[in-house]
Amino acid sequence: MASRVLTRPPALRSPAFRSIGRSVLLTLPMALWALLMFTPSFRQPGRNLHIGALLVILFMTALFFLMMRTGKTYRWRRYFFVALGLLFPVGFIASLVAVRGTMSIPIERMVSGDTPFCYMVIPMLILPAAVTRTIIFPGSILPTASNPHSIAIMIGLWLALTLVVGKAWCSYVCFFGGIEEGFAALPKRMKIRKLDPRLRLVPWAILLFVVVLSAALFEPVYCMWLCPFKTVTEYPAVHSVTTAIQMGIFITLFAGLVVVLPYLTKKRTQCAFFCPFGAFQSLFNKINLFEIRFDREKCVDCTLCQTSCPTMALSAESIREGKTLLNCMKCGACVDSCKKSAAVWHLKGTKVALKPERARLLFLYGAWAMATMFGGSILANSISTIIGFLPLR
Amino acid sequence: MRARILAVLAYIGAAVTLLIAACVPFVLMGVFSNAVAHAGLHLDPSYSGGTIVRTVAHSGYQMDVYAPVRPRALQQVAAFVQIAFRPVAALPRHVSEEIDLDGDGQPDVRVSFTVPADPHARPSGEVVALNAKYQSFTMPGNYSFSEMMVQSGGAVVVRVPLR
Repeated sequence: MASRVLTRPPALRSPAFRSIGRSVLLTLPMALWALLMFTPSFRQPGRNLHIGALLVILFMTALFFLMMRTGKTYRWRRYFFVALGLLFPVGFIASLVAVRGTMSIPIERMVSGDTPFCYMVIPMLILPAAVTRTIIFPGSILPTASNPHSIAIMIGLWLALTLVVGKAWCSYVCFFGGIEEGFAALPKRMKIRKLDPRLRLVPWAILLFVVVLSAALFEPVYCMWLCPFKTVTEYPAVHSVTTAIQMGIFITLFAGLVVVLPYLTKKRTQCAFFCPFGAFQSLFNKINLFEIRFDREKCVDCTLCQTSCPTMALSAESIREGKTLLNCMKCGACVDSCKKSAAVWHLKGTKVALKPERARLLFLYGAWAMATMFGGSILANSISTIIGFLPLR
Repeated sequence: MRARILAVLAYIGAAVTLLIAACVPFVLMGVFSNAVAHAGLHLDPSYSGGTIVRTVAHSGYQMDVYAPVRPRALQQVAAFVQIAFRPVAALPRHVSEEIDLDGDGQPDVRVSFTVPADPHARPSGEVVALNAKYQSFTMPGNYSFSEMMVQSGGAVVVRVPLR
């Protein structure tokens, strides 16, 4: 029986997973949510922002509709995520250049608390804040006219979003992950197939290293020395050998982990093998209700899911146990790629594979709502910035 | 029976998660942000300059003297004292002043600088230590968190390194 199943051509899931009417009905709440999220944008002056908001409402609603219609998640989510990864730096850099004329952050801006807060620094803040009530980041705790992305606002946002999406932050919220997902999507086939599974442990080692060292040195070590995304956001102004070395490290890590390796491996290598924030966020998989599981009765151990996983969150052992590893970011790539429908969305506490589509819907409503609210607003602002650069009348 | 109870609890949990999601932009984000803002946290003084211990009023502008900032065990920043002259708009073109930093009634440093017309430009000037506790420097020079003379936040901020 098993051999017959293996020799049969793979039973592809129908592209019309749901009827149009039913898909529209399921999309309606998300369309209303998108409208609600962007209503304030329409009240603000500025035609470009209105266009950006309108495009994002249509884009996010259309993608959700396609998720409902086709039953695929990763395929459509990726359009949003890559768009976010590509457009976030455009909007961010444009606003930096408009405000200060450069991407580099001079020391006077750090002293006046004008550094926009980045969530990557959160794990490094915990120990010094807990022990000495000190925040080791040159931002401002409360929002100011020159820095609306204050520490309190951004940590509040992170806490709220994490409650809903947990580790799925890395596939629905993180504006950095989209960049490498974009590069990973470019080639048709992997150029490097063999990756040492022990590399999965590196983000945990880096997390431990930067948390301990940041607490000891009282500075955000990862941001100062290791963050590849400084290359496309902002970096300390180069004025000494030290800052030149820092800049060299940022560019090298960005080129290697975000551009070249994702292209060669079709994996999100920075997320899978480097990002300490991603490792930290993995801990929330323990408390989040949604997960991916494997129906062992249907699984034929073809390893397609393992190959398709962008962060190597699956191993032969974990699949045998019907589970993912702790670093699963619930992107849905394994579910989409499984030709036997053995990889399923699952709500903890319920029977595996009993109502996988119900679990998927419950997860997606929360995750897509957060993606629309957070990523959508970034997209709208970036689109509005780009339109501003176009020679239109 | 246990499995059924677990499943019911799971669906209640999922519904609560959706409810939380709906509350994020309207309630939760604000609640969490306020909680962080009122958690009694403060910025590391190597960034903020620390706390103001004395303010000296001049005609049209004021000078704030901050408490000395000393590095924690392995912190790379050297010890310094911050002085801020604000607002920049009210400062005379050239400022030269002997300042008592430690409050003992004796001047500790002489700070002289020229306020640039460009609000983003760095002032040029010098700090001359009048006793062995402080270090002299000239700007433009090597800027660091413990040695600087910059326009920041509507003030001319001078950080004098301690010996």
